[in-house]
Amino acid sequence: MSLFWIVIRQLAEIEAMAMSKKVITREEWEKKLNDVKIRKEDMNKLVMNFLVTEGYVDAAEKFRMESGTEPDIDLATITDRMAVKKAVQCGNVEDAIEKVNDLNPEILDTNPQLFFHLQQQRLIELIRNGKVEEALEFAQEELAPRGEENQSFLEELERTVALLAFEDVSNCPVGDLLDISQRLKTASEVNAAILTSQSHEKDPKLPSLLKMLLWAQNQLDEKAAYPRINDLATATLEDPAI
Amino acid sequence: MPTTTASAVCTTVGNNILLRLTSGERDVKLKALRELKNQIIGNRTKKLSFLKLGAVPAVAGILSDAVSAVDVADNDENDRIVKDIIVQSAAVLGSFACGFEAGVRAVLDAGADILIQRGCLVEEMPLLKSYMEVVDAGARSLKMIYQSKMAPKYDFLQEENMEFLLSLLNNESENVSGLGASIISHSCKTSLEQKLLFDAGVLKRLTSLLGGSLIQRDASLESIATIFKNNPEVVSQFVGPDTGRTLSCIIEIVKDRFARTRLLASLCLIVIRNASPCYLQDVGIKTKLINNLLELLDDPGRVGDEASFAFSSLIAEKEDMQKLAFEVNGVDKLYNHLQKGSLHPRRFEGILLALADMCSKLECCRSRCLSLQVLKLVVDALAHDSSDVRSAACMCLRSVSRSIKFIQNLSAGSFMNETIVIPLVRLLDDTSTAVQVAALGAISNIVVDFTTRRSTFIRLGGVKLLVQLSKSMDSTIRLNALRALRNLIFLAEDKCKEEIFMELTASLLASLICDPEPSVQEQALALVRNLVDGRINSVEYIFAEDGIILDAVGRQLRIASKAEIEIQGMYVLGNVATGKESHKEAVMDQLLLRAENKAQSCIIKFLQSNDSRLRTAAVWAVLNLTCSSSPGSSGRLVKLHDAGIVSHVKNMVNDPCLDVKLRVKTALEQFNSFDDSLILCIFSPAASNNKASTSCLQFLTVRAVGELSHVVDPSSKEEESIANYFRFSMKKNKKKKSTRTVKFCFDVPADSL
Repeated sequence: MSLFWIVIRQLAEIEAMAMSKKVITREEWEKKLNDVKIRKEDMNKLVMNFLVTEGYVDAAEKFRMESGTEPDIDLATITDRMAVKKAVQCGNVEDAIEKVNDLNPEILDTNPQLFFHLQQQRLIELIRNGKVEEALEFAQEELAPRGEENQSFLEELERTVALLAFEDVSNCPVGDLLDISQRLKTASEVNAAILTSQSHEKDPKLPSLLKMLLWAQNQLDEKAAYPRINDLATATLEDPAI
Repeated sequence: MPTTTASAVCTTVGNNILLRLTSGERDVKLKALRELKNQIIGNRTKKLSFLKLGAVPAVAGILSDAVSAVDVADNDENDRIVKDIIVQSAAVLGSFACGFEAGVRAVLDAGADILIQRGCLVEEMPLLKSYMEVVDAGARSLKMIYQSKMAPKYDFLQEENMEFLLSLLNNESENVSGLGASIISHSCKTSLEQKLLFDAGVLKRLTSLLGGSLIQRDASLESIATIFKNNPEVVSQFVGPDTGRTLSCIIEIVKDRFARTRLLASLCLIVIRNASPCYLQDVGIKTKLINNLLELLDDPGRVGDEASFAFSSLIAEKEDMQKLAFEVNGVDKLYNHLQKGSLHPRRFEGILLALADMCSKLECCRSRCLSLQVLKLVVDALAHDSSDVRSAACMCLRSVSRSIKFIQNLSAGSFMNETIVIPLVRLLDDTSTAVQVAALGAISNIVVDFTTRRSTFIRLGGVKLLVQLSKSMDSTIRLNALRALRNLIFLAEDKCKEEIFMELTASLLASLICDPEPSVQEQALALVRNLVDGRINSVEYIFAEDGIILDAVGRQLRIASKAEIEIQGMYVLGNVATGKESHKEAVMDQLLLRAENKAQSCIIKFLQSNDSRLRTAAVWAVLNLTCSSSPGSSGRLVKLHDAGIVSHVKNMVNDPCLDVKLRVKTALEQFNSFDDSLILCIFSPAASNNKASTSCLQFLTVRAVGELSHVVDPSSKEEESIANYFRFSMKKNKKKKSTRTVKFCFDVPADSL
């Protein structure tokens, strides 16, 4: 938690910096940081927002009990959404599609890109399980028509089908499709779509804050030498190069 | 072949599902419905193939049965299954209707919309109403149906429909209130309907929905815009304690995080702005809207496509808005988007139209476009696959070609000529009428030049095409073709005029002058005006084929009622009157010919017109007929005087319009140069006996300087007591050079003395 404090204070400090390029010692810097006040309630809300958006229901529930922070989404709806996300992450795409359609049949009907990616994931899973014939049939029947409707879909489809052409799938140019990260990417996309349909912002606020920190530091680099945060995970201040 | 196998598989699966749908067991039915739903959602091809297998009527039947079964349902288990069946079948039908025209048609044909409404949303089903899922499913499906253009028109005039609509809007569920708003957005078209909705107080509810969820906000914004669109009366009634709140609410939403919401909010404000001049006029809000829309162009999806159309509606015909947009680099921004290449046709069309609007009035915008080499991209667009894009490119070209730099051909040399003219000429033959009309509009401007563009156009056979189009069945095409020809002939060289006239022929021109459409008549007359303008030889054209053109002009002047036609006609006569003696006499004949039931020549009506352009045109004609250098002018002057025309001109000495005043001054100087003095005797028979009449005789001598004193016998009741007059002209001033013969005549009615 204290790391967070440093990060947030740093951000606030940078924004208040003067124009000329000067050297700021660690002492000066830390003093300025300490002068900046951040409310604990705001911090808690940020954390809750992160947990809820990412779908960590139990953690959110616990956090609510311990900190008294109210989530901005009804925790019950998170469960449904998490079930969908989990299904995709485990490779049960068909199940995920059914769950999404039960939750809100409009989502996939009005989101051609998402639907295509889900179908694509289904194809990848079939290929992963070695069901080549079924995969081909599936590609022909379900995905080819999508490719006809849209140029970018066609390109992605071709990439996916290319998996079938290689003996050693893990080392081929399109091997990244078989990675777990691909599943996570699709899962994230579904998550975002469900959140949007429920009128919630699909991204947690925390990453945006960190991006702002990095940007602000880059801006400040042109004007001053000061203790920087280079490792976001540890958020330690590193002395300015002289 | 894999394809046949695939579709064969599909059909097998499909048939299997449909078979199970007809099963007597509810469980089986429910399972089949869910499978069907999951097959078709998001999948257009599957929707089509299931459609062909007759899925829609089958599902509609199931829904209908289930709804009736609700009454008979006796235990919880049955309730639940029936409820599930209703939910699933509504979802299936809604999905068929989602963005899929054939599906919507099938769903409507099966009467599913009414079914869903009655089954899911109406009060009579208390059992079902307790299940929110049913209501939600029904609302969602109906919303899909109502988003299509083919949806049935909702009859707001029926009271029960209005009540139902209000109940939808007031419902807590966002799907249901969203449906209500959707219905308004889709079906409210006439101003009567707008007023009805406004009077029913829907705005209050819609305003509160603005603070709701995303779906509610978006739906509400669309509905509010629909109610206010083009209806100044409703907007003006919008005054009240609530107005400021709603407006500021919407203004806040313009900054919303979701792009689509920002667009809808902007559109809403634009609609209100356009309908009523008293709202949203300060510079702050104008700039905000412009910047917002320009920014929305960056959105890669449909929002970005539509943003340019919104931008057009904001700035069209409004010079102040165009200026503001120019100042924030609007032209450059639009150009940057244009440059990106491989644009979606809708986006391409929108940006071109936006540029066309930007350049419609301001030279700075056009000039900037030319220096950015926008024309290159626009000319490429003339050959685009989409007719809307081609049309928009023509309109853009038309606006930009109004630029001085363009006319003077200051930017680039021959590129401008062939590269522009060739594709435009090709478009004259386009399959789409709208494209032809737009191309004609661009050509009209492009041929107004004195360099090689005109000759290039003619060389490419443009004249033939234009003449052909001027015979089109479609009056808009005739009109625009004539306009192009008119501009082509403007100040053209003799040879050019001859070529054009040969192609047109006198009989075609005469018939176009008498065209059933007044606007076509106007253009035809303007064309003739340009034709006979210039050298004396040009005047001859109007006498071709026994003077049918001149006759047609005269005829139109006598029967016309539209000022624009009368103006052009008078200028034609005025131009002809600059010719030889015979020409001038011919004009006199036309002028003095009276229409049926009319006591005076038509020109008198024109001289008295409220339209200063018409008065100017009429005086020009008189001027040209009586110019001092022509031998026959004095004779014509007398005739004009006899017809009462001269006195009318003299009355216009203090005309409020400067143009008219100057012409009249010249005319009067000309009249004066003829040395005639006119003595006007006015006497009015006040009493019935002769002695009294004689005593009322008054003489007035009028000097020929345009002073006409108008004397009315005070004992007479009517203004027009100039019942009789003497007229004779006699020898005048020693100051003048020539002596004229005295013409002497009396006009005395028998019973007055």
